[in-house]
Amino acid sequence: MDSLTVVVLVIALALFFDFTNGFHDTANAMATPIATGALKPRTAVAIASVMNLLGAFLSTAVATMISVSMINDASTLRPEIVFAGLTGAILWNLTTWFLGLPSSSSHALFGGLIGAVIAAVGFGGVNFVAVIQKVLLPAVFAPLIAGLAAWLATRLAYAITKRSTEDDLSTGRGRFRYGQIFSSSLVALSHGTNDAQKTMGVITLVLVAGGIQKDGGHVELWVVLAAALAIALGTFSGGWRIIKTMGKGLSEVKPAQGLAAEVATAATILASSKLGFALSTTQVASGSIIGSGLGRKGGKVRWGKAGHVVIGWLLTLPAAAIVGALSATLVDLGPAGILIDAIATLGVVIAIFQIARRNAVTHQTVASEMEEASEVVITRKQQAAAKKLASAQAKAASKNGKGKK
Amino acid sequence: MIVIDWNHLFMVAFAAVIASALVVSLFSLGMRLLVNADSVRAVAATGDSVALRKEALNRAGAYVLIALSAAAVIYGVLLIIPNLIPNAA
Repeated sequence: MDSLTVVVLVIALALFFDFTNGFHDTANAMATPIATGALKPRTAVAIASVMNLLGAFLSTAVATMISVSMINDASTLRPEIVFAGLTGAILWNLTTWFLGLPSSSSHALFGGLIGAVIAAVGFGGVNFVAVIQKVLLPAVFAPLIAGLAAWLATRLAYAITKRSTEDDLSTGRGRFRYGQIFSSSLVALSHGTNDAQKTMGVITLVLVAGGIQKDGGHVELWVVLAAALAIALGTFSGGWRIIKTMGKGLSEVKPAQGLAAEVATAATILASSKLGFALSTTQVASGSIIGSGLGRKGGKVRWGKAGHVVIGWLLTLPAAAIVGALSATLVDLGPAGILIDAIATLGVVIAIFQIARRNAVTHQTVASEMEEASEVVITRKQQAAAKKLASAQAKAASKNGKGKK
Repeated sequence: MIVIDWNHLFMVAFAAVIASALVVSLFSLGMRLLVNADSVRAVAATGDSVALRKEALNRAGAYVLIALSAAAVIYGVLLIIPNLIPNAA
């Protein structure tokens, strides 16, 4: 297989990855405004895809981080390695999606690439300083930063709109719903500035590896356009999924809290995009939802749930790296290896889509990470309800016990 | 030994926390003033001059605050576009 074919294959796969990313992440921006009734699902989805498209054009800092900083000397890389990394990422991503495990498509992508490069070139091929600086540290800190920002913003929003009982005025917090139309659009915009960049970075990387582009310092306009369109289309077609699977988990998120969480998410992602930090946007949005839940009076963390979410996050990068390394080893066997890898990926993609379609949309397999994160914090109301239930059960139990005696 | 540049991470934290607090506070204050304005609307409609002034002031204040919060957001988005605002690296 000549290298141009592989380059074309990588571009197609990268755009497919971009599409699935948009598809998967529509919920991050639009789940809360739909849950609070700020936007009709159809409108929300349309706004999200337009904002993603625009966001993709704003900056290319994250893209050049991938094509320049992360890999030492991309020109020594063969396009096959990028191909292997990408298939590793897609395989891991789809598998976790199918199993309903929380995961991050960004970390799957980095894991796959890093694993493939290490398997093919050795540890010297990866610039670990850049990986730690721009991927790993942001992965740990960005959700915490977003959580802190959302916590503070929620506290402020509630404090500012608080009314004393003798005032006899409404707090007006329901009106935050109108602000949410803008704050959620901002989240969609920031998503485009970070996630669409990852595809641009991979495409630029393979163009450099294939000798088509001299160095990865800039991103060609057609690459920006293609990545922007792919993520916007993905976001748009991801809409049906949230509309069908919106569970009641997010109904506990109130408009003022939702607005604070969305502003915090967007601010964290935008600031990170500016500095070339490649984040998992889903993790940042989850951090904000948890932070804003704690910012409300009496919010408590369910540590079991939180642990489940975090373990999924930590697992993604190394697991995808292993899959990436395996497919790099396969690809190293020559054209036959590439063919096997391509067929395996295609097979898994088709199989998973078929199974997903046959089982229709079950809540368990496609529940959004946002809902999962929103369930991490238990509100005062829920705590009271749980207490009531427990005491009622205890009463019933003691009654039964007496009756038997 | 890998040297980690904490400055950038700190900048993201600082920018995110301050920006969210600012935008949400401005918007919340706007919402509070809107409620104030609506609370005297019925009296203002009868032509009561004190209520009329109170409604107008609160409503104007609310719109200014909401506009300021929107302006802060727009400025923040423009900041991330390279070379658009000089020296804003």
